[in-house]
Amino acid sequence: MIDFTFTEEQELFRQAAREFAETKIAPRVPEMEETGEVSEEVVKALAEAEMMAITIPEEYGGLGLGYVARLIALEEIARVSVATALMLQVFALGIEPIIRFGTEEQKKKYLPALATGERLATVAVTEPTGGSDPKSGRTSYKKDGDNYIINGRKCFITNSHIADTITVLARDEEDPDAFSTFIVEKGMEGFRPGHKEHKVGMRGCNTGELIFENCRVPSRNLLGAEGKGMRVAMTAISEVGRGGMVGCALGLQAACLEASVEFANERILYGKPISKLQTIQNKLAEMKIDLEAGRLLAYRAAALQDQGVRASNEFAVAKYFTTEAAQKAAKMAVDIHGGYGCMEEYAVSRYWRDAAVLGPSAGTSDIMKVIIARWVLS
Amino acid sequence: MLNIVVCVKAVPDPKEADKIRIDPVTKTLTRADVPLVLNPLDKHAMEAALQLKERFDAHIAVLSMGPPEAGRIVRECLALGADQGVLLCDRAFAGADAYATAYTLAKGIEKIGPYDVVFCGMASSDGSTEWVGPELATFLGVPVVTRVKELVEFGEGWWKVKASLEDGYRLVRVKLPAVLTVTRELNTPRTLSFSGIIKARKKEISEWGVSDLGVPSDLVGLKGSPTIVSRMTTRESKREVEIIGGTREEKAERLVQRLVEAGVI
Amino acid sequence: MGERFLTEIQGLLPRSETFSERCGQRSMENTPGPVWVIAEQIDGRILTVSLQLIGQARKLADELGASVEVVLLGDELDEHPQQLFAAGAARVYLGSDPRLAFYQPELYTEIIVKLAQERQPEMVLIGSTDVGRELAPLVAARLETGLTAHCIDLALDENGVLEQVVPAYGGLISIICPEKRPQMATVARGVFPTPELDESRTGEVILLDVPDELPRRVQTLEIVREEPEGVPLESAPIVVAGGAGVGDLEGWRQIAELAKVLNGALGCTRPAVDEGWAGLETMIGQSGKMVSPELYIGVGLSGEQQHMVGIVGAKVMVAINNDPHAPIFEQVDYGIIDDCREFVPALIDKIREYQAT
Repeated sequence: MIDFTFTEEQELFRQAAREFAETKIAPRVPEMEETGEVSEEVVKALAEAEMMAITIPEEYGGLGLGYVARLIALEEIARVSVATALMLQVFALGIEPIIRFGTEEQKKKYLPALATGERLATVAVTEPTGGSDPKSGRTSYKKDGDNYIINGRKCFITNSHIADTITVLARDEEDPDAFSTFIVEKGMEGFRPGHKEHKVGMRGCNTGELIFENCRVPSRNLLGAEGKGMRVAMTAISEVGRGGMVGCALGLQAACLEASVEFANERILYGKPISKLQTIQNKLAEMKIDLEAGRLLAYRAAALQDQGVRASNEFAVAKYFTTEAAQKAAKMAVDIHGGYGCMEEYAVSRYWRDAAVLGPSAGTSDIMKVIIARWVLS
Repeated sequence: MLNIVVCVKAVPDPKEADKIRIDPVTKTLTRADVPLVLNPLDKHAMEAALQLKERFDAHIAVLSMGPPEAGRIVRECLALGADQGVLLCDRAFAGADAYATAYTLAKGIEKIGPYDVVFCGMASSDGSTEWVGPELATFLGVPVVTRVKELVEFGEGWWKVKASLEDGYRLVRVKLPAVLTVTRELNTPRTLSFSGIIKARKKEISEWGVSDLGVPSDLVGLKGSPTIVSRMTTRESKREVEIIGGTREEKAERLVQRLVEAGVI
Repeated sequence: MGERFLTEIQGLLPRSETFSERCGQRSMENTPGPVWVIAEQIDGRILTVSLQLIGQARKLADELGASVEVVLLGDELDEHPQQLFAAGAARVYLGSDPRLAFYQPELYTEIIVKLAQERQPEMVLIGSTDVGRELAPLVAARLETGLTAHCIDLALDENGVLEQVVPAYGGLISIICPEKRPQMATVARGVFPTPELDESRTGEVILLDVPDELPRRVQTLEIVREEPEGVPLESAPIVVAGGAGVGDLEGWRQIAELAKVLNGALGCTRPAVDEGWAGLETMIGQSGKMVSPELYIGVGLSGEQQHMVGIVGAKVMVAINNDPHAPIFEQVDYGIIDDCREFVPALIDKIREYQAT
């Protein structure tokens, strides 16, 4: 039947991730909020804690732990810093296409360095023409001898300026319905990061533009079969990308609830702590309900993924639910804090801004519904 | 090869332990769902063993007397890097005071085999008597140094260590095998790593009860404890508090006034 | 009537299969054995806690109809028994020898254990000092008897058994050692009052031999002591104590300032030690120091038992905490519900204002 308990080992992973987040990430949060820049120490700490290695198979230098373990780690890190969790989740997103569709040489070449954190990864799909409509993308490629030449621009790419290994989706110049994915490496001729975004939330996570101007890529960097690139990109995004957002959202929900409980127990109005007021209790109850429900949706999808079953639909449900819930939780947390909720010294003001960025990442809520409707109607 | 034993205890999480209280009406302990964690000072004991293992060739056995849930704490120590885990688990061990605990641990250590050093945290966060280390050493027939804050020199069959005093330290030369109880100052414990947790899968945890240790059950647990709790009461507070109100400035002013009136400043 | 349990010490011995009822029945056939205090001296100065324990031992012994005997080990101690008699001892076992000058665990333990086996004390009280906290369990294990830590009171119960009161779980627990003898307890300085010294009292001195052949597996090579800074906590008339609520080092500097402006001593709770803001030697409480100031101000601490039992007989107690639920507000005279980071500077200003007048 169904066993909803975590194993002893999973509890230890959670403890390790929590200790790591509290001791190594939390002290860096103020600096990340201030500068909005990725903290090198944080990236280094993530690498030392083997966080990038979780989903990479052991034979390529990874820990081979799977997606439930990844979700546990993301949840605990997001509880302390959603920006860091987003950065980490997109590393895994960038790694996934190589694991699933890479040739043996490609796996041997890229995965070990990605496991140690020596190299960082991302995926580049979204363009100004739309991320919700990936087929509208204009970035294109053409074959030129033993190379491909890529031209175009990608925008809103997480880890744009720090990634070394980027899986890029482009359409065939000759055949508008054919897409391919390529592994582009930092430093390759004709490839450079462009404009850096300044986000209202998720500060400490880098988002920006990638520019391809006659970017020359060797043919051995073609990832998956030519013309089958959409499948490569969307498989990764729909499972690992959505799954990662779920981890970010759950951590944020937990943080909102904890901060609200602490504040509600301390804040006195009408001669007693506001946690005694029913209206506050209602909000706390709602946050708790959403957290319980979100966790079940999330871990069920991740468990399917660990079994090798396709879970993109389950993740669509979980992604929709948890990112919406996180935005609600953040608003309720701010309401509970009253005026303090808008002050920078109070963590909830940051949760509110971070929550805003959760929605559009890895597919908007509306797109999630489109996918879920498709699932229902199929 | 250095044979090290680390004695560890699963304790109620100190951050939440104050939820366990004596009920003023029933005079018994309120039930509270406080999770068990590795006793904070035992982390320093583990770290001492791990650093020695990195420096010399060593085998680390971790030993704990506790309920079945304490098995997770032993697994945690294996994940940190210990080689072998032993959980002394038996209904008969329950209710032990420091004396019976030390006796039981001594029997466990004798069963594990020859050792050069036993590390313990100086005290546990619950109970916190500081007695187990010295009593354990007495039952094992080996010397003990308590409150070790630095390991200074490693000789052949002897070590030099610094033992904390309230206002300084003693430099002590101790012959091995010995029991050393450790303080926070000794080291900074490492955190769990994911790969350590994976490596722990292959490591064995043995569970031993009264019959495995070959001891009569009246020498362990509550029966083997010379001390018992005869009753619990709550403290009556003899003071009537006045919560001083007003604006911040008013509160400060009024407080100073009260203290001057009382003649204390 | 219960039976006196006679112990034989030779490694681990099997104990009796049948225990008498655990209501602690004492033998009334003989006069009870003496009440012992293992006194301690550092550099020839007898510690205050030892005198305080002799005072309490006197009370217990009088009730029992027993005598108070003190064991003192060290070097050049010929003049010292007088002070112990003045505090209430009837007999002093004196080990005064260069070999005993510094605490040597095996030697001290052997001497005390052999003497206890010979003289069969009813109770043994030891000061909860660096030495006491190591020596007491070594002796107790050898004598196969019980030992209680952190006692904040010692009294005879209705059966004549020593009730050892220890703070725990927000209240008090009473521990007894119903059958084994001696009943042993460690007590911190400041729990019991220092007795009036009556210089006219005298007593008997028994000189102890130092055993010759002993394993010397532990040797104290050197003792290094640092000069303590500021006003010592145990004797300070004003004590300011900080806890987790102080928040960070900046907050800690503020309360240090408060202590300074009041000319008081600065103490702390365990969380402050864990955070690294204060040293363990300034921790007030069950496992730390006992204080008995005129004025105690607890800042950013919740009022947990382990800390509060360290405050004995303060005249006025004040708490500053932004959690109105904090248990400390039930234990003080004046409470300020406010963020200590904001309130303490305001308080310092008002104190300075007052001092200027």
